[in-house]
Amino acid sequence: MRRLALVVVLALAACAGVLGLTRSEPRPFPHRAHVFAGVTCTRCHVGIDRDDGTSLHVPDDRSCIECHSKPHDSHPCLGCHAAPNALPELADARAHLVFDHKTHTAPTRGDCVRCHVGVAESDQHLRPPMATCFRCHDHDASRDARTCNACHRDLEDSATLPETHLAHDGDWLREHGTRAASSGDLCQSCHRDRFCAECHGKTVPILPATARFDDVFAPTIHRAGFESRHALEARAEPGACTTCHSPDRCASCHTSLGVAGDTRRSPHPPGWVGPTPADNAHGREARRDPTACASCHDGAGQSLCVGCHKVGGVGGNPHPVGWSSRVPLSSMPCRLCHPIGSRP
Amino acid sequence: MKWLAAMLVVGGVAHADPLALRADAFASTAAPAGLLTLSADGDAGPGLSAEAVVWTGQTTATAADRADGDVLVIALHARTRDGRINGTLGRFVATLGALRPVQVDGGRARVRLPYAIDVDAYAGIPVLPDLTTSRSWDWVTGGRVARRIGDWGSIGAGYMQQRTDGELATEEVGFDAGAALGNHDDLAGKLAYDLANPGLAEATITASDRRGALRGELYATYIAASHILPATSLFTVLGDVPALRAGTTWTWRAAPRLDVAADLAVRRSDGDAIDEPATAPATTVGEVGEVIAPAIVLRATLRLDDRGASALGGELRRDGAGDSGWTGARATARFALPWALSASSELELVVPDHDRGLGRVWPWVLAALSRTWGPWHAAVALEAQASPEDRSRLDALAQLGRTWGKP
Repeated sequence: MRRLALVVVLALAACAGVLGLTRSEPRPFPHRAHVFAGVTCTRCHVGIDRDDGTSLHVPDDRSCIECHSKPHDSHPCLGCHAAPNALPELADARAHLVFDHKTHTAPTRGDCVRCHVGVAESDQHLRPPMATCFRCHDHDASRDARTCNACHRDLEDSATLPETHLAHDGDWLREHGTRAASSGDLCQSCHRDRFCAECHGKTVPILPATARFDDVFAPTIHRAGFESRHALEARAEPGACTTCHSPDRCASCHTSLGVAGDTRRSPHPPGWVGPTPADNAHGREARRDPTACASCHDGAGQSLCVGCHKVGGVGGNPHPVGWSSRVPLSSMPCRLCHPIGSRP
Repeated sequence: MKWLAAMLVVGGVAHADPLALRADAFASTAAPAGLLTLSADGDAGPGLSAEAVVWTGQTTATAADRADGDVLVIALHARTRDGRINGTLGRFVATLGALRPVQVDGGRARVRLPYAIDVDAYAGIPVLPDLTTSRSWDWVTGGRVARRIGDWGSIGAGYMQQRTDGELATEEVGFDAGAALGNHDDLAGKLAYDLANPGLAEATITASDRRGALRGELYATYIAASHILPATSLFTVLGDVPALRAGTTWTWRAAPRLDVAADLAVRRSDGDAIDEPATAPATTVGEVGEVIAPAIVLRATLRLDDRGASALGGELRRDGAGDSGWTGARATARFALPWALSASSELELVVPDHDRGLGRVWPWVLAALSRTWGPWHAAVALEAQASPEDRSRLDALAQLGRTWGKP
């Protein structure tokens, strides 16, 4: 046991860098050291108090060289002395937030840390969380009206993901339908109609998993070798396919591949249709997954069933015990087996 | 419809401000063979916007549903300044609470009334592929009334009816609810009831708890296949064994760059047929049994840098039982390379419990190389597999995209 613990500790130590437990280059910018040295924010972030929302106000090398007269190499300072995601996050915020520092300088009396909490410890996330804004700004009206564009620009294309609300974690692919049921309008504050249509549309030419084949970590439906697995998955959860696909979707593909439709061989095993229940597997299979039958036999193929199962036919009553319907007998599909004048 | 799409896209280019346009070309040796997709977004002031996605290409689909081009979305959105009323006109996917999503050509509107009541409604013609016009007496309409409860939850009820050739195809009521309970817990559920052939069509409930790096979720889903089919299908009259799945999902940020997830569920669904006595009359339709099968997914993702530009992933799955059981493993990798290049790879191995002579292992592998520079994105890949359909198969994929007007 002690040996195992030692192995685990050694493995963790060896992998600490990879797991992100220890910091590797480039390092976060040492804001804390600069604050202790008496360097004010605006000394490096020149002009940020007059910011009109167009510039990043990230210090350049000249600002550093004012104090650090002997740079150890000729590379840009922030190439190594800034968290890897700090600058891209700032650029994303500038592009997608309606914000300027100028109007915030007076209310905060120039106290940057009032919003940039924790900047002394790290510059991992220089952008304050949304909750910080709500300390001063009333958000209720915008939230109720679902008008995010008071603060956000082009949210769908923003790299921003909600962290404190609507976090898309867990198995979001499975969960999103249930969450969206009660807050669908909230989804539309970030996602446009085409986002839903990419999977739920009847006119989709290819699914996102195929179109963005190079994004192997994207959590999209029908990933990887789904074509191989689809029959097993369809059998394991009958009806799951039909929640998105119409049954004729299966038929068109199976017909083109020659596993259904006008083929010379039947895909069904021996004993599929016979005179006794023991030889009559098709009834049980149909009840196991009626959508599987519908995938080939819906439409004109229904006549195969009607021949035996119509009222008075040798196939008998296909309805389960207690089955009921509000569809009139004169409508489809009832009229196929219940001709006018026959018993219900 | 094609002309309308083209006019709206071109019109948007001419007048909307700001405007974003994206073009993607996709080619594959598998179906579809070639595809060009155009997407456009335009804002014409604070309350008016439009979006469109159209595609054209050569597919290898069967003649019955071959399409050389179609409109995925083309919609004009309008809203009042305070956001209390908004509407959409065009082609879109209508989603209302627990009711099933439907792609329609039509309109929808949402009104936020006093007392935190919201009313949504849509009406239109259900979309069929290939810009078909043979849709006389096909229509769908639906509505939902919801009540927000403070800033922590809402409940809603909806109704939809769809007719095909004038005959009732779907009639459904749905109920949904969602709540944020405190700072850590969420609860949501939905239920759809088939009115055409009375019975529960679909139900889902999920409850989650999030504390720091750990998130746990309990969920259950119920799907009755025959109630999901259109009521005009003969196969709705058979009844079925509803599929029921219940489980728990856990995600844990085990280290700053390491995410671990586990989905442990059981599934009750159709099973082996119950033996029927040989004396049973030949006119009875067989009854079916039920089986409890596991559905297990274990997944880990390791980011090799803080931004996740390079990453490794692994996944193990065990699903189903009996003749639908299988075990699978998947590995993914992505490496950021110099010159804005990225190499990615994905490998999947599936071992079915019963191969039925279709191969004991179904491997699938993809290797891709992509580059993003400025508004351009290009990617090429090779995909190889051995599946029940193909003893071995090799395909090539390529994609080229460009964006105009994005910040």
